[in-house]
Amino acid sequence: MSAEKFEAFLAKLYVDDHARSRFLVDPRREALKAGLTENDCAALEKIDFVGLEFAADSFARKRASSPPRKPVSNLTRWLRRR
Amino acid sequence: MKDRFGLGWRPELAAGILTHLDRIDIVEVIADDYFDAGRSKRRALKTLANQVPVALHGVTLGLASSIPVELNRLRQTARLVEEIQPEFWSEHLAFVRGGAIEIGHLAAPPRTAATIDGAARNLAAANAIVGALPLVENIATLIDPPGSTLSEADWTRDILAAANCELLLDLHNLYANSVNFGFDPYHFIDRIPQETIRAIHLAGGRWINAKASDERRLLDDHLHDVPQAVYDLLEYIGAKTSHPLTVILERDGRYPPIEVLLNQLDRARAALRRGRAKQQTKAVSEAA
Repeated sequence: MSAEKFEAFLAKLYVDDHARSRFLVDPRREALKAGLTENDCAALEKIDFVGLEFAADSFARKRASSPPRKPVSNLTRWLRRR
Repeated sequence: MKDRFGLGWRPELAAGILTHLDRIDIVEVIADDYFDAGRSKRRALKTLANQVPVALHGVTLGLASSIPVELNRLRQTARLVEEIQPEFWSEHLAFVRGGAIEIGHLAAPPRTAATIDGAARNLAAANAIVGALPLVENIATLIDPPGSTLSEADWTRDILAAANCELLLDLHNLYANSVNFGFDPYHFIDRIPQETIRAIHLAGGRWINAKASDERRLLDDHLHDVPQAVYDLLEYIGAKTSHPLTVILERDGRYPPIEVLLNQLDRARAALRRGRAKQQTKAVSEAA
């Protein structure tokens, strides 16, 4: 469960500008608030800060260039196949 | 069976590919583009698969994760694989979502025992639902994945062993990670069991600069030509492996004339051939 929480925290860090700004001010506090373990907090305090900005920028560009697929209803799917 | 060389299928390249099938052995199609496609688009893909061998490449499963893969997406993959009967299908060693958040692209998970176990579980589910294991691809990352306890080479090798699957080795991803994080890409190749390397991706990228420091990193953007360092790695693979490989050139934009891409495939052929020749020379000299 901790591993899932950690990945969820990273996902938020990568896509949410506000969450990332808060994290950059105090990584440990934000990690603890998210219910992460001491080990997770220690790992996040040593995060590759330059890489985090590069990655977040890159993900934002990707999302902008290819918006996430919306769920397609069964009816729409059936109609498309006609 | 011999080495095969092909291109990623993109609408912008379709005419060029179809008029040069004498120089293209296989095309790689993005599976996710067809999950919700209408009948005519899927029929067009079947027609393509009747003309040239096709591989399907997934981008949204997020298999290398402690988070369980979404079964709906696996069922969509299964339907497409059943319909198209590709030469093989592949996916990335990445996580793409966490909690309720979609990252929107491939992210490198923490390289830990937990994500190895998660990947093995997700790959077993993929095998059960799709009916075949995917080749798994190493990804490029701009951030050294937080929380990692293993090197990329060892983590990749351990997933291949735990899931009993084979590798689609993206040489530009490997090259970019090696220059960004200071490791030897040849050492990475040496750590991977050579018999698990089944397919190769080639691509290009560009350097990007940090806003607040003078740091820069190599971005794998698929918009530029394949650099010489990647051909050198391919030659090394040729010298290490003795089974047939499928080599795919990926290009996602700034499309040059098709002849430019075909020339890059020719350079790839020559690099792999040089590697194979080195291996034969070594075998002969060892036997003598």
